[in-house]
Amino acid sequence: MIERAIELVRARAATGDALWRRAERTSVTFESGRLKSCAATEETGVNLRVLVDGRMGVAGTTADDADDLVARAVASAALGEPVPIAFPTAVSLPEVSTYAAPAADAPLERLTAIGAELVGRVTREGCQVNVTIEREIAQTRVVNTAGTDAGYRTSTVVVGLDLARFAGDDVLFVSDQYAGAGLPAPADLDALVRSIDDRYTPAVRVVAPPDGALPVVFTPSGLSAILLPLEQALSGKTVLQGISPLGAKTGQRVFDERFSLFDDPLVPGQPASRPCDDEGTPSRRLPLIERGVVRGFVYDLETAARAQVASTGHGARGTFGKPHVDYSNLVVGSGEWGVGDGRLGGGLLDAITDGLLIDDLIGVGQGNVIGGAFSHPVALAYRIERGAITGRVKDAAVAGNVYDLLGRIGDFGTDGRWLGNRWSASLLLEAVSVARR
Amino acid sequence: MKDRLAAALKTSRADYTEIRVEHTWSAAVSFRGARLESATAGEDRGGFVRALHDGCGWGIAAFTSLDELPAMVRRATELSRAVRLDRPIRLAPVAPVTAEALLDLDGDVRGVPLAEKKRLLEGYNGEMLAVPGVVDTQAIYRDEVTEYWFANSEGTSLHELRPEITLSGTAIARRNGTIEKGLESIGLRRGWRGAQGQAAGFGEAGRRAAALLDAPSVKGGAYPVVLDNELAGVFIHEAFGHLSEADFVYENPQAREMMTLGRRFGRPVLNVGDNGAAPGLRGTLPYDDEGTPTQDTPLIRDGILVGRLHSRETAATLGERPTGNARAVSFRHAPIVRMTNTYIGNGSGTFDDLIRDIKLGVYACSAFGGQTLLENFSFTAAYGHMIRDGAVAELVKDVVLAGSLFQTLDRIEQLAGDFRWNQMGGGCGKGGQFPLPVTEGAPHVRIEEALIGGDVPA
Repeated sequence: MIERAIELVRARAATGDALWRRAERTSVTFESGRLKSCAATEETGVNLRVLVDGRMGVAGTTADDADDLVARAVASAALGEPVPIAFPTAVSLPEVSTYAAPAADAPLERLTAIGAELVGRVTREGCQVNVTIEREIAQTRVVNTAGTDAGYRTSTVVVGLDLARFAGDDVLFVSDQYAGAGLPAPADLDALVRSIDDRYTPAVRVVAPPDGALPVVFTPSGLSAILLPLEQALSGKTVLQGISPLGAKTGQRVFDERFSLFDDPLVPGQPASRPCDDEGTPSRRLPLIERGVVRGFVYDLETAARAQVASTGHGARGTFGKPHVDYSNLVVGSGEWGVGDGRLGGGLLDAITDGLLIDDLIGVGQGNVIGGAFSHPVALAYRIERGAITGRVKDAAVAGNVYDLLGRIGDFGTDGRWLGNRWSASLLLEAVSVARR
Repeated sequence: MKDRLAAALKTSRADYTEIRVEHTWSAAVSFRGARLESATAGEDRGGFVRALHDGCGWGIAAFTSLDELPAMVRRATELSRAVRLDRPIRLAPVAPVTAEALLDLDGDVRGVPLAEKKRLLEGYNGEMLAVPGVVDTQAIYRDEVTEYWFANSEGTSLHELRPEITLSGTAIARRNGTIEKGLESIGLRRGWRGAQGQAAGFGEAGRRAAALLDAPSVKGGAYPVVLDNELAGVFIHEAFGHLSEADFVYENPQAREMMTLGRRFGRPVLNVGDNGAAPGLRGTLPYDDEGTPTQDTPLIRDGILVGRLHSRETAATLGERPTGNARAVSFRHAPIVRMTNTYIGNGSGTFDDLIRDIKLGVYACSAFGGQTLLENFSFTAAYGHMIRDGAVAELVKDVVLAGSLFQTLDRIEQLAGDFRWNQMGGGCGKGGQFPLPVTEGAPHVRIEEALIGGDVPA
């Protein structure tokens, strides 16, 4: 159908591009320790963009009707804004491993066995264990009127594990996940179990929170609040709109020189890895912040055309709506990723006399994110006293401004890991405002 | 289509089978500043089969290719048999029903040209852009009509037409380094006519953003707090509503203890419920996605926990009755326990009665967002006013309300008699299913004392 859609676009003397994606998902769900359901999902969709007389239109469908799709895209273009998009021509794409046959071919029993093993290893008195395992096999094709016809297949396995404990009105919730193109290796499952154990055990004891400007260690999961303002500021779209605090700072040192941030779509076996983006632009590793200096921003074709720069290969699209700017894999720290030691806090706790370890915050993304200021109650956090965790703190909030805090960082830990589409270690920040409630 | 569903059901060997098919026509227009981002129409269709063998687990198949209904039934029944359970899944009984529930489309959006939708939104967007101080805007129009079929092996057969319209606007005002925003959000289970005459709210969003440039941050601390109708509604949905969903407790004895029926949750003034049958609201539908009729379900009566929201499975597990709250966001997903139109019951008296004896307090209005993590919550009000000596005083910003659900519910001490439904856009998210159309309603609510986080502490 995608060929026919592009043919129809050509026949109208228009230009355009389309994404076709077919995904098959198999998932198994363990609720409160027992396998409850198995699901299979199959979805095929096409997203089409056209330029008619220089004006852009988009349409999407899960129905198998190319003529209707093109007619709707052309109708959309009749209202669209002019934008000088140049669709990429056919080039050879970089190699990147995105598909693991053993994962794609694994029978249902293999997936349920992983879940049963995890339930067995994590279950403890008074706690509920939920496990979900999802395997997706997908094929993607990007075709445009400039000759690009790129395709690749992916396999993705996500294993989510959470543990909940209710004691009176106190609720303790600890979770983690594995994600990769392949099935989790024994070491991956060991790491998952250890991660849950390490965060559950010291959390059973609740201690009073400290107060004041204190050293705070953000785990790779807790870092989301710190990185969100940067992710917004480093989007070419934000720059184009004139609201990025980093927009005019290319080449300037804004952050600690130990702080780098790269986008890398070519990491082998990561779920967001791909040889090209959803607009057919070849993938490449892109420095965003290098040793504290702002180096670049992410662009898709439309944003790049408006900003009069080249796309960096960061166009993402679903079946519906127009393509938009998005990251692939973000690598935080030195800019290189590796295998960490899995220690909670990554060895950063030793030097702390009194402080906090933050694993999860409430309300990340609410409020005025782009300015860099944040203020959040803790969801899962621990008190650190004389180099060790002494218990979980509940009624505390942390606040600060990301741009101030990242100007001089404490240190990165030795526990670097992938979490979702981001690689980072724990990060120690000095003098974060901690308030008791 | 009805006959195809019935024929496919006949091929099933499972003890229970259900099939849902949806065909959705949608259109979306968005502006960023004065520039059109996109105007587009989409077509989405697909089906969902769920099967259950006695002593086995749920088998589920979801698909976009409708040519293969019997194959999908086979797939779901195979997957069900792959799961052996020691404690079988039971479904609480629901009387089979056959219904044609073709909701009034109120001006079928499928007949309105995309250009007219663009023109309408351009006007609303212009209301925001016309406000001095507003430097950027975002405006979004979405509509859809879903034709919906549901049938199960117990004899239920439903055919529905479901319209929906959402409109939203964000106005950004900036002066030097200060950036503020104002929001407008409308969500209606209506058609094209429902989208008309909404300009005033967009202008108001622009004026609010501009006014916040001059507003000081609220000083953090504990205050008597009055929530406006909108924030009170968001609060009850986020902080309490999710705990009342029975899938949160049905497999979990400790959680069930926390949510024991009969437990006191608040003072006698507090009444809370969820009403999926309330006429004309965005969360309203005649039946849920298991074919159970929707209803008004009391959750808290006179401060006491009296009920919870159920699917057929959670109701059977807990020995209670289904409430018509099993909902799926689309054919891609299984129905799970969800809210519909959640409300705090009306009080008495006026807003002025609520604030008359407050010497120093905060009036927290509208919501930028809110998140609940089990018993802890954090809500960001869109704006607020100080209350001084019994009267509404200066505009303040950065009003963040945080605390423990149990403490805060227990401190609700007075409710005004000005109940209102808030027909907002957006929607509810749970278990990867977003955005589910819901509505919230409440009167003005006074909390004896709550913690307001204001300016970032130095």
